[in-house]
Amino acid sequence: MTTTSAKLLKLALPLIKNHGFTRETLSLSALSLPTPLANPLPDASVTALFGPGDDACRTLVHAWLDDARRRMKEEAIEKMGMGDVLKARLKSNEPVLEHLPEAFALLASSPLLPLPLLPVDPAPIIRHAAQVSNQACWIAHSDSSWYTRRATISAIYLAAELHQLTSPKTAPEFLDSLLENAEHAGKALDETALFASYVWKSWRGIVRSSGVLV
Amino acid sequence: MLVRCRFLVANALRPSTRTITCRASDFYTDPSKNQEPGVSTSPDISPKQREILDRALRVDQAGEIAANWIYRGQFAVLGRDPRVGPLIQEMWDQEKLHLEVMDKLQLQHEVRPTLLSDVAKVAGYALGAATALMGKEAAMACTEAVETVIGEHYDDQLKDFELLPSSHPSIPLLRDVIKEFRDDELEHLDTAVEHHSQRAPAHALLSAVVAGGCKVAIELCKRF
Repeated sequence: MTTTSAKLLKLALPLIKNHGFTRETLSLSALSLPTPLANPLPDASVTALFGPGDDACRTLVHAWLDDARRRMKEEAIEKMGMGDVLKARLKSNEPVLEHLPEAFALLASSPLLPLPLLPVDPAPIIRHAAQVSNQACWIAHSDSSWYTRRATISAIYLAAELHQLTSPKTAPEFLDSLLENAEHAGKALDETALFASYVWKSWRGIVRSSGVLV
Repeated sequence: MLVRCRFLVANALRPSTRTITCRASDFYTDPSKNQEPGVSTSPDISPKQREILDRALRVDQAGEIAANWIYRGQFAVLGRDPRVGPLIQEMWDQEKLHLEVMDKLQLQHEVRPTLLSDVAKVAGYALGAATALMGKEAAMACTEAVETVIGEHYDDQLKDFELLPSSHPSIPLLRDVIKEFRDDELEHLDTAVEHHSQRAPAHALLSAVVAGGCKVAIELCKRF
């Protein structure tokens, strides 16, 4: 990406609230330049800088998601729990909440679908959740079971974000309930594994003491 | 003849004198140094440099996991031997320290650990136990082959790290840590040779198979 298009993308981000993830937003970003242009960018310029049709809108969506992740890291405070980090990320959705369904639809309707029979491409959405989860785990210093933890947090975040699209006010409580359930499930698995190790050790001791292996 | 040449090359890579100074790894093992910028922050580098750093630390951490489990497997079989047992324990203790430092480096630079860490544990244990069951010399031959590959690998990494900027304190420290670990691994190689690794049955074949496996593992862990 050129420096000019990167600058324009950055200037377009505050305009998403009013104009959505559209080519119009990219066009209007030129009016926010330090030495602003007299008129918005023509459509041909938007195509040249950001791609034709919905590709330009997808570029804007990716830029907004990258910016939201950057803000997660910058606005993180010491000893922030996982719940607080994810709630902060959900809060950053609020200014553009009405445009997010369209944004996710744009991501899922990529022209390069992995299989011709699939009507939508889930990969960009999953990648978005995985990136948020990865960032959240680094911020919250979540060191246990690297991949399992990230997969769990991805699923929880995705569910909470989908909930937020339909019911924004109850999203934080929904997120808390999912995290609590995940913690209970994790503890249950740990205790099962501990019990299984006790059973294994006791059987090993019985077999050794029986003299079968001598 | 080839083995003798390899042994001489390995010795040439290692400095002939090691002065007793603060080891680079002490910055990671000493809790009083936890907050130093070289230990607690990661440099702001280009995506290409970040990829070099990520791959290097991922494969190094995987390698130390495998080395730990190789020695665990060897100790499980030969731990009670009065001559070789304490030797394996000593080398294993050093690898535990290496792994501790690699774990901290992985967290410091926010590197994704390998997906294959469980495979590294199982394969390492199986290799260690299998070669130990073949005899003491075979166990030493396994150590010799693994440490030769790791020593060369760390040396290649030091060349790659020349591309990273030295302005951030973590990068010179990382280079020093890798040099220290390379020297430790080559010391293990010397120990293995001194304890008759070359008398192992089918030494050349065993070394080739183990070294080949290590190289494949290194390439896999860089990517996965």
